[in-house]
Amino acid sequence: MLSPYGLDIIESCLTCKMRADRIFCDLNTGALQSFEAIKYATAYPKGAVLFVEGQAPRGIFVLCKGRVKLSICATDGKTLILKIAEPGEVLGLSATVSGKPYELTAETIDPCQVNFVKREDFLRFLKDNSDACFKVAEQLSDKYNNACHEVRSLGLSHSAGEKLAKLLLEWTSRNGESVKIEPRLKLALTHEEIAQMIGTSRETVTRLFADLKKRQIVQSKGSTLVIRNKAALKALATSG
Amino acid sequence: MDSAPRQSCFECQLRPDRLFCDLPTDALEAFDSIKSIARYPRGVLLFQEGQTARGIFVVCEGRIKLSVCSESGKRLTLRIANAGEVLGTSACLAAGHYEVTAEALDNAKVAVVRRKELLKFLRMHREACMQIVHLLSQDLHTAYDRVRSLGLGRTRRARVH
Repeated sequence: MLSPYGLDIIESCLTCKMRADRIFCDLNTGALQSFEAIKYATAYPKGAVLFVEGQAPRGIFVLCKGRVKLSICATDGKTLILKIAEPGEVLGLSATVSGKPYELTAETIDPCQVNFVKREDFLRFLKDNSDACFKVAEQLSDKYNNACHEVRSLGLSHSAGEKLAKLLLEWTSRNGESVKIEPRLKLALTHEEIAQMIGTSRETVTRLFADLKKRQIVQSKGSTLVIRNKAALKALATSG
Repeated sequence: MDSAPRQSCFECQLRPDRLFCDLPTDALEAFDSIKSIARYPRGVLLFQEGQTARGIFVVCEGRIKLSVCSESGKRLTLRIANAGEVLGTSACLAAGHYEVTAEALDNAKVAVVRRKELLKFLRMHREACMQIVHLLSQDLHTAYDRVRSLGLGRTRRARVH
């Protein structure tokens, strides 16, 4: 069976198996039925831009499958990647709710399924569904928590080495590997993208990885990074 | 920190100008019944980064300094919260613990609502929930601005060869 970009499109929220684990999607049946009526299920390939920082808000993009890179740009073109959004996250939420321009640029890093809801439909939906309102408040709270985390990381970390170590450790705790003696990571980002996440240059990131490998703190096995020396990496993350 | 006798939101003159406080009557009545007023002298902490989120703090009077801290003790001020703002919402709704430390810069008067009661209140009063959504949206905007200036606005240190 052919499907766009190799994705198995989930047509109906009501029969979606992943609903229970996702904050926003776990709405009561009545709200979910209303949501079904206003959403447009769409597929995007890797590298597609969903919306651009500064653009007038068209609506929200509920990420069903795949991952999306969220970034902020400076006037001179320098980019900072704020986070990689995972399935379940509602993108463009604060802009859609406030009417202000999108805060971030959203670009897919995998083939993605996204449920789009037009702004006016979404605001009407929120007016009629207090459960959905509450979920929106929860999602925004989560984003705020993340942003504070970024501020702490950018404002308090001394060196790029420290920030990279912190990032690698954060990724292992997100994918559940941190409990292992030698956690593994599938690196989904290029050195350039990692540099944009921690506010440094690609050359620095490449140099830092080479250094970590030389000191046998990490090891590359194809596209997987194995953390051989967790303690040393933790020490690097707190040296500031 | 010492408590003042119950003061009603209905008596407050500043209400109409404040986003969160300007609630419809039934929501305001409900809020009035779940809040308690507390006073924090200058320099006292309302809550600390990492502490379990036990409630929200609506700033009635005074200013509150919000900051984060590194493991090594370096402190970074995020921003100053003014009267009318609501603190600790995202902690109560998502994080489970406070993400920042809040310190009274002036002698502050604050309306405190316990977490469990807040959640019940928000589920029952959609308008209040939407006010909170708008406040969170504003907080997020400020945080992103901070990220932008920290991550992109800094001048690079001289390269070491």
